[in-house]
Amino acid sequence: MASSDKNKPSVKQQRDARRQEKVAALKRQQAVQKRNRIVGISVASVAGAAAVALLVTFVVTSGQPRQDPDDITVAGVQTWDDLTANHVTGAVDYEMTPPAGGDHAGVWMNCGVYTEQVPNENAVHDLEHGAVWFTYDPAQVTDDQIAAVTDLAPSTYSVVSPYEGMDSPMYVSAWGAQLAFDDPADPAVADFVTKYWKSSNAPEPGAACTGGVDGPGKVS
Amino acid sequence: MTEGDDGATGSGGAARASGARLVRLVVAGVLALAIVLVAGVAIGRLSSPTPVVPGDRSVEAGFSRDMQVHHEQAVEMAMAIRDRSDADDVRTIAYDIATAQSQQAGQMYAWLEVWGVAQAPSEPTMTWMTRPTLDGSYGDHEHAGAATPGDGTTPAPSHTPGDPMPGLATPAQMDELRAADGVEAERLFLTLMIAHHRGGIEMAEAILARSDDRQVVDFARGMIATQQSDIDAMQQMLARRA
Repeated sequence: MASSDKNKPSVKQQRDARRQEKVAALKRQQAVQKRNRIVGISVASVAGAAAVALLVTFVVTSGQPRQDPDDITVAGVQTWDDLTANHVTGAVDYEMTPPAGGDHAGVWMNCGVYTEQVPNENAVHDLEHGAVWFTYDPAQVTDDQIAAVTDLAPSTYSVVSPYEGMDSPMYVSAWGAQLAFDDPADPAVADFVTKYWKSSNAPEPGAACTGGVDGPGKVS
Repeated sequence: MTEGDDGATGSGGAARASGARLVRLVVAGVLALAIVLVAGVAIGRLSSPTPVVPGDRSVEAGFSRDMQVHHEQAVEMAMAIRDRSDADDVRTIAYDIATAQSQQAGQMYAWLEVWGVAQAPSEPTMTWMTRPTLDGSYGDHEHAGAATPGDGTTPAPSHTPGDPMPGLATPAQMDELRAADGVEAERLFLTLMIAHHRGGIEMAEAILARSDDRQVVDFARGMIATQQSDIDAMQQMLARRA
């Protein structure tokens, strides 16, 4: 209000200033629009690519998880190739304790849970038929561990039995494969069952694990 | 004031402009979605290993694992009665059941091998029977296959994961069979095997309602037909021993 005439801009100057302000505002607006468009296109492209990738993944996997047992690596497993599988009478001197395959008795042992040590030669015949055999050393395990091992055993094609004098509290064995463990919750134990239970690594998977002989102390 | 007026006229133009832009956006969006869908499915189909086979947690794998266990018990029962009976009719059907179901268990074993999945179940038994049916219906417990075997109705998921399979003999019943002899053993065998077959048919109907895999469907249809005829024959054998 109190500005001097000298400082007061002319009408023309005022008009110019207003026009420049408008031009500047328009440019700002255009810049914002341009930026938004770039952001929008980028986001849409990324989202589109992600959607394609998701669809491809979905269709390829098609909701069916695939875990070929051949691809499972069981941490700590020991394996043997070229085991013999003759039917013999009398005791066999196995190369590993407990035995994980080799020559065996002509009659197999009925699969199930045993509370007494069972004859190696009959149990090994079960391994030939695709069973897994859980053994625990009674001197090295608790009742809870025995119960946990029994729970791990599949309802068919498995034997659970005590085995004295092992160098590990527990073992799980299949034909030509064996895992020592001291904790039934060790994921390697579950991996072992997935990979070796009724495995085609055994010479006769699916041959009977019933209708043979009972070992001592069969409870189920 | 002038700016306000400018804004008013501007917003009218902007409304028209944004309306047109919206249409364009929607069209572009729909087109993009269609392209993405077609491209995704095409690339997925082409790059996936063909043919697409049942996976680890498929109903087909669940059926193949559970039915092997089911069949193995039938074989055990059939072999047990052949050791305990001199009757030709029972010994013959037991031979038929033992050899047929051993062979079928082997078929299911081989499917799992070919599909590249483990023989060991990744889920509790019977989980596959709780999965939705192909027609999306679950049905009622009352319509369970066992009640109306062989009639082709949609069997119900009247089970929960981890349940014992229908028709399986209990360990006590198996002990009883092994301890029995002669006609008593025959009656027990026939009774247990009729129930066993009914349970098997219920499971076969459950997979028919859930799978369109040709091998599995043919297998289940055959199972239903032969086990139903076995049941009829065994009922007559049981009647003769009443």
